[in-house]
This record gives sequence, C-alpha cells and structure tokens, in this order.
Amino acid sequence: METMLVMVIVIAIFFDFTNGFHDTANVVATSVSTRALSPRAAVAFASILNFVGAFISLAVAATIASDFVDQDAITETVVFAGLIGAIVWNLLTWYFGLPSSSSHALIGGVIGATLVAAGTGAVNGTGLVDKLIVPALVAPVLAFAVAGVSILAIYRIVGRLRPGPVNRGYRLGQLISGSLFSLAHGTNDAQKTMGIITLALIAHGNLPENSFDVPTWVIASSAAAIALGTYTGGWRIIRTVGSRIIKMDPAQGFSAQGSGAAVVLAASHLGYPLSTTHVISGGVMGAGAAKRLSAVRWGVAGNIAIAWALTLPAAAIIGAVAYAVSSIFGTGALGPIVVSISVLGVILAFFGRRASQGRLLTAGA
Amino acid sequence: MTATIDTGQLLELVWTAAVAGAALSIIFSLLVLGLVRADDLRRSGRDVVAGAYLALAALAALLIAGGVVFGVSVIVSK
Repeated sequence: METMLVMVIVIAIFFDFTNGFHDTANVVATSVSTRALSPRAAVAFASILNFVGAFISLAVAATIASDFVDQDAITETVVFAGLIGAIVWNLLTWYFGLPSSSSHALIGGVIGATLVAAGTGAVNGTGLVDKLIVPALVAPVLAFAVAGVSILAIYRIVGRLRPGPVNRGYRLGQLISGSLFSLAHGTNDAQKTMGIITLALIAHGNLPENSFDVPTWVIASSAAAIALGTYTGGWRIIRTVGSRIIKMDPAQGFSAQGSGAAVVLAASHLGYPLSTTHVISGGVMGAGAAKRLSAVRWGVAGNIAIAWALTLPAAAIIGAVAYAVSSIFGTGALGPIVVSISVLGVILAFFGRRASQGRLLTAGA
Repeated sequence: MTATIDTGQLLELVWTAAVAGAALSIIFSLLVLGLVRADDLRRSGRDVVAGAYLALAALAALLIAGGVVFGVSVIVSK
C-alpha cells in the first residue's frame, strides 16, 4: 500500500503543476496584455509569489480535506481517480484554450470517484452547496461588479488627465494588483493539492481523521509544484483571458486584478475554495462591460461559461470511470498503474499527433 | 436547502471583497491623480498647489501600503 500512497502523492503534485500551468493565465494575462510586464518577467514574478502565497493560509486545505466527502469513504484509489479526472479535464480545456476551473475539476473528480466507491451517502451535499456551488456562483458576479464599479471610479478620477502618464501609472499599479492576485492564487489553489494529499494521508492512516495538521513537507512540495507550473506557463489561455474577452487598457487590467485579488484573498480567509479562473474572468468582463457593453466579446464569454458549467460533472464522470476501471484490478496499486499508463498513452498519442501536424501551438478558443 | 447555506459568512465575503477591491482602485487613482497633477502644476509654476497634490499622492501611497500589509496579515493570522 506504500506504493499506492507514493503514487497518489506524485500524481497530486503533478496535478498541482498542471494547476499552475493551466492557471498562469489568470495571474499574468492582464499584466501581459496591457504591457505592464514582459511575458517572461510576468510569469517569473507570478511564480515566486505563488510559492510565497502557498504558505500563508491553510483554511482552504482544511475545507477540501473535510467538507465535501465522508472521510471514511476515502481510499487512496478514490483520491487517485479524482486526480485523474481533474488532470484529464485540465489538459482538455488547456488544449482548447478555455479558462476552466482546476478547483472544480479536482473536487468534481473526487466526488465522481466517491460516488462509485461508496454511493451518494458518502458525498456531503450540504458542504458542496455551502462551500462550493454558492461561492462559485457568487464569486465571478462579485468580481464582475467590483471591477465594474472600480473602473467607473477610476475613469471619473483620472479621465481628464493626460493619457500617457496615467497609463504608465496603472502599468506600475499592475505590479501591485498582479502581485496581490499571484499571492491570492498561490494561497487558494496550492491549498487544494495540500487538502487532497492530506486526504490520502488520512486514508492511509498517517494522519488522524478528526484533528490533523497539514505536514510542512506537503505545504512545501505543493508550493514548489504550483510555482514551477506557473513558471512553465499556459500561453494559449493567456491569449484568451488577456485579449480575446476584451481589449484592455492598463486601468482596466488594474481594476480586474485588484478586484480579483480582493475576492480570492477574502475567500481564502473564510475557507472557500474559489476558482481563481472564474474570478479573474468575471473581473475582466466587469472592467470591459462597465466601459462599454459591446467591448466584451460575449461569444468568447459564453464559451467560458459553458466550460465552467461542464467542469464539475465532466471531471466527476472521468473520475468515476477511472475509479471503476482501477477497481477491476482489486484494491492494490495495479489498477491505478494500468489507468495511469492508459491515460498517459492517450495523452501522448493525441498531443503527439497534433504537434506533428504543427497545430498544437496554433489552435485556440 | 437554503438552511444549509452560511449566509453570514457569504455576506462577509461580499462586503469585504467589495470594499477592499473598490478602495484599492480608488486610492490608487488618487495616487495617480496626485502625481500627474503635481507634475503639470509644477511645470506651470504653481508650486503650492503642486505640493498639495503631492501630499495627496503620498497619503494615497501610505494607505495602499498599509492596506496591503493589513490584508495579508489578516489572512496569515487565520
């Protein structure tokens, strides 16, 4: 069973890497598109602050580890299958350039696997509604409204000034708002992996079920993985968030990032595992719509909304299938090994074929 | 189902995020306003008014720095 635990931890760290990789767009897109920072500098900057952010709070990790599923029903195979659901969905949405939620993919994957493993009674519907679904509906609307009000106030205050120095000012301001958002991203998102590894450790008997502390090595490895993923970057989603929803000026970039950071940091403090993707997309749309409704490309926004709605059920289905296939081979490590090799093979075949056709870097949302 | 939702905590999220997000944008705009107007006024020889705008910019910078430190410390203390 040690093999199984090690395997789950390695896959969880890999998920954390894809989370940073996938969500880099959230953190740097606005800074890059308004030319506040060069792409390389923005990604490096975000990577460092993601690492730091992962250390500053553990409220979300506790929610992930205890509020969505019955801990008695959690086995290492359930955690493994949930991670497979999240990773596959993250890679699919990355491929199509859609900024979907890594958080909802992870929680969806675990719920799908739990449903197959232990039935509906093992899923905590109350926790799911209270801690996930309602905040998921409120957060992007809140970011939309705050960014909209903020950009109107900004234009009111600086609208009659010379645009040159004003734009330079907001580009500098994006260093502050971008830093806050990177910190918020590290704080909220790295904790999801910490929560999932903690669940695996509880299932394996390394940690007590009712009162546990997240081990320091879990915090450090999660922080490092998300920082490395962020540094590696997900350029096609950057393009969608940074320029395909609206064409932003520096003040809009500042208000979108500032509003997003405020929402995510407040949520992290209260233990809500929010999607930073939903929040920044809401902020970007709010900053655009307040200036001019037609400035927002609502078709792109609609595609993003569809990806949001599909994430939880799609990841749940993939997680459920991964669990079902794994359990055919018994409770040991053989099933997860077979599933991992199969998933890796499909991914390599799919992406390898597209890369050989030269389409991997040109297709987008 | 509504009985399961912690509306108090949700409202706390809404008002803290709204106040913090809007305040950051407004105070940073006052910083930009202060710096740009101070520069314009100094060029046209109105040094006293330029000084007042510079003071506004300095106050805004202090408020932003204080707000960021306060916000992060609140999260760290959880």
